[in-house]
Amino acid sequence: MHFFQQSFLYDHSWAHVVSGLNFKYPNSRCTHVLSIDVLDRTVDPKTGIIRTERILGCKQKAPGFVVKLFGGSEDAFVREITFVDPARQEATVTSVNLSLSQFATCFERIRYSPAPDNRTAFTQTAEIQARMTLWRSAADGLEKWLVERFEQNAQLGKLGFTDVLRALSEERQTAP
Amino acid sequence: MADSLSPECTPLKQEYDSCFNVWFEGYLSPAISPSATDAQRTAHYQRKAKEFEDKCGKVYKEYQACLQSAVKQKGIEPLLQQAREEHPLREPLPPATPSSKDS
Repeated sequence: MHFFQQSFLYDHSWAHVVSGLNFKYPNSRCTHVLSIDVLDRTVDPKTGIIRTERILGCKQKAPGFVVKLFGGSEDAFVREITFVDPARQEATVTSVNLSLSQFATCFERIRYSPAPDNRTAFTQTAEIQARMTLWRSAADGLEKWLVERFEQNAQLGKLGFTDVLRALSEERQTAP
Repeated sequence: MADSLSPECTPLKQEYDSCFNVWFEGYLSPAISPSATDAQRTAHYQRKAKEFEDKCGKVYKEYQACLQSAVKQKGIEPLLQQAREEHPLREPLPPATPSSKDS
């Protein structure tokens, strides 16, 4: 099992960041995300919490040995569940890979919550675990590769979303 | 806005996304007063949920009809079922752990 964690602040209000989530992709720094679809969305009439289940299609650049050993294709899919709680001002995003999930899982949790000075705290954790059926060394190699890739994409995600949020607020400021 | 996993669903998907985004911005911005009673709160969210259904319900159904058949064709359904069984994720994550720096 490998862990990854990062947290930082976005210089935008919680509402701006959370409504911006729907515009996060496509962005020029995260070209690995090819498609996004909503599989299910419900609004709880009691609490106002919106639950959204989405599927993200990604370009998978698995190392040759992974594709050769395990098969798999160009397309990789990730299932993502988002909860937005407007009353408590909290949003959480949980994602798990669907593709190659028989060999390894990457379980990611993100939380967006309001921070002082009209900013938004972002916390991200990920657990990356190969299934036990793999040989120890192969499993370890696969986990390490997945962690490296996750770290790269996490950095790109931050930069890309920062660009998108800035563009959105500029758009809003220039709008009549 | 991102494409659908199936090109023929992309127009419906984008129409639905636009509809949701307009509704959602309004949903987030004028947050209900903290002093509102539970009954007022429930009435507010019920009204909002109905408004969403009235505005976006029709295009959502059309989009889902297109998407569901694409999900089946692409063979994603068994993976999705397995993921839903392993992690239903029907409830929001518990509040941040005490070890976090904020709060």
